[in-house]
Amino acid sequence: MPHGPPNVVVMIEIQGLTRRFGDLTAVDDVSFAVHDGHMTGFVGGNGAGKTTTMRMTMGLLGVDAGRVLWNGAPITAANRQRTGYMPEERGLYPKQKIVDQLVYLGELSGMSASDAKAAIMDHLERFGLADRANDRVEKLSLGNQQRVQIIAALMTRPEALILDEPFSGLDPTAVDSMADLLREHTSRGIPVLFSSHQLDLVERLCDHLVVLAKGRVVADGTVAQLRNRGPQRYRLVLGSDAGWVRDVPGVHTVDVDGATAVLELTGETPGADQILLRDALSRGEVKEFARIIAPLSEIYREVTA
Amino acid sequence: MSTIEQNPVRTTPAPTGGRAPSGAMRTAWAIVAKREILAKIFDKSFLVGTVLTVAVIAGFMVVSAFMEDRTKTYDLVASGADVSFARTLASEVTAVDDKVIVDVRSADSAQAARALVLDDDADVWLHKVGDDWTLTAATEVPDGLQAAASTVVRQSTIATNAQSAGTSVAAIEKGATLKASILKGNADKQGFAKVMGFVLAFLFYMASLTFGMQLAGSVVEEKASRIVEIIATKIPVRQLLIGKILGNTALAVGQMVVYTGIGLIGLSFTQYKSYLPSVSAGIVWFLVFFLLGFLVIACAWAVAGALASRTEDLQQTAMPLTMLMMAMWFAVFLAKGAVLTVLSFVPPFSAILMPIRILDGSAAWWEPVVALLLLIALAGVIVRGAERLYRRSLLQTSGKLSIKQAWSAPE
Repeated sequence: MPHGPPNVVVMIEIQGLTRRFGDLTAVDDVSFAVHDGHMTGFVGGNGAGKTTTMRMTMGLLGVDAGRVLWNGAPITAANRQRTGYMPEERGLYPKQKIVDQLVYLGELSGMSASDAKAAIMDHLERFGLADRANDRVEKLSLGNQQRVQIIAALMTRPEALILDEPFSGLDPTAVDSMADLLREHTSRGIPVLFSSHQLDLVERLCDHLVVLAKGRVVADGTVAQLRNRGPQRYRLVLGSDAGWVRDVPGVHTVDVDGATAVLELTGETPGADQILLRDALSRGEVKEFARIIAPLSEIYREVTA
Repeated sequence: MSTIEQNPVRTTPAPTGGRAPSGAMRTAWAIVAKREILAKIFDKSFLVGTVLTVAVIAGFMVVSAFMEDRTKTYDLVASGADVSFARTLASEVTAVDDKVIVDVRSADSAQAARALVLDDDADVWLHKVGDDWTLTAATEVPDGLQAAASTVVRQSTIATNAQSAGTSVAAIEKGATLKASILKGNADKQGFAKVMGFVLAFLFYMASLTFGMQLAGSVVEEKASRIVEIIATKIPVRQLLIGKILGNTALAVGQMVVYTGIGLIGLSFTQYKSYLPSVSAGIVWFLVFFLLGFLVIACAWAVAGALASRTEDLQQTAMPLTMLMMAMWFAVFLAKGAVLTVLSFVPPFSAILMPIRILDGSAAWWEPVVALLLLIALAGVIVRGAERLYRRSLLQTSGKLSIKQAWSAPE
């Protein structure tokens, strides 16, 4: 399976993680890597095992098998302390002031109180919440609570980010500023792993994609690599009927509708696309010959089917 | 805007001097304990509760000291020949009871004297009915006045009668008194020690319940809000447990020191102040036992919190513990003799019963030491067990767990 471009440091590597709950194997021999400076999207349906994998990575759940490596060595508590983590179910102390509890979390991450406070005010400012710093969390709207939660994960200038559904509950503007914020962190070279149900968002943001289904990794690679996994599909639109394409060697015809054909190259005949195109041009007008770029949702449905 | 540090919108620069190097990690439990304490002492209900309790203790002390010292002046009216005895009574009554002062008014006639009392212009009317001196009031003769006045009347009448019989009061009373004496200590002092024991036991009971509930509540709050998931990735769960227990213990012991301190200061203004030196050692022992006893109980409360997933579950998961606290409190009243002696060694009962035995003087010097060692041993066992239960149940968020489930739950 592809593991990203060469010469990229593998920061977090998950090897053969397995976790059973009774008879249910929630995570089954899951392996993938999160590279430095890369945004890795973790995709899968409900119950696919994303949260369990993230919890094991963060040391919150014991593992039945497998291990997590950090720069090639088994991950330590100190590594985890320096990782920004956002759990699936959100929560902060409802009755404590925002700034106080963020300072507390910063101190637990090893920051001094003054450093933590500066970083917090900086982030609150960015989200337009600076004037709410002394409010209790319970007084904030859900979207703003979510922002505070994100600050808790990012303010420590972490060495890695593991975020479980960071975009859920955010409005489009907040999604954009959150995306910008995450890109800042990848551009300073840290690995970011986030899970999401929003495939369009994952496609837009991620350099790398890991798809989980029923506890197993069913796809792992860049979006382009995932697209190139199966046979390539092309659309051919001619000036006249396209029925003849069925007889071209090395081409599997998926569908023909009048002058339009959808084809797959089987790969048996090298250069079959060029042969097909020459053939078509010799027969008359070619209005379109293009590779079909499948949306990620389609790829997702294919790999998880 | 490639990094946070270079962010142009930063408006709050970190203070220049005294900036700790980032990553300088203080002990995690101390940070947790600090939050537990700060979050509490700036909490309105906690502050109000503490201030109110202090006010009640101080108020009680002030009122009782005031009641004790208050002298009452009575207006006594007499007429005719009775006035001269009234004056004698007035001059001698204060020697009998220093809280009673009598002002004498003379009336022109018995009727006038009676009228003054009826009109509330005088408290009592002193007059003779037959051979007997009588105090007549409008509705009720004040107890303090009656007791003191009757002593004066008796002494003065006996003296007059003795004189007319050709003898003296001393001769008549010779050998006629019965003095009471006890072999062990002083009866008042023992009563005082007993009351003191009850009061301290009550304080322990209240503090264990309120701070225990509070500790369990804060554990559930962290579980329910899921912030514990973030905390557990930052520091070991053991550090979180230790920090929470020590923070709440510091609060409970601190509050206890304030309450007993104010109580003792108050006592030093009362007639009991002479007993204070004899109970001060007992109070120090009480604080030592309180500290350890609370630590043990706090561990159990933390587990009760961890077994629940929501605040609503807490009533049930804390039930065995509330029962235990009740049992300890009942033991204070019900345990006597050998049962008391045995229970005073059994932790956690020892935390409350041994100080009581020290206060009433029935414990030999080695007994609190043994009880303390047993309590420490139990504390060690409970802390370890609590850590396991706490760690394993902390991330289980579906409903409440039994102790057995939590003990065998996978991590």
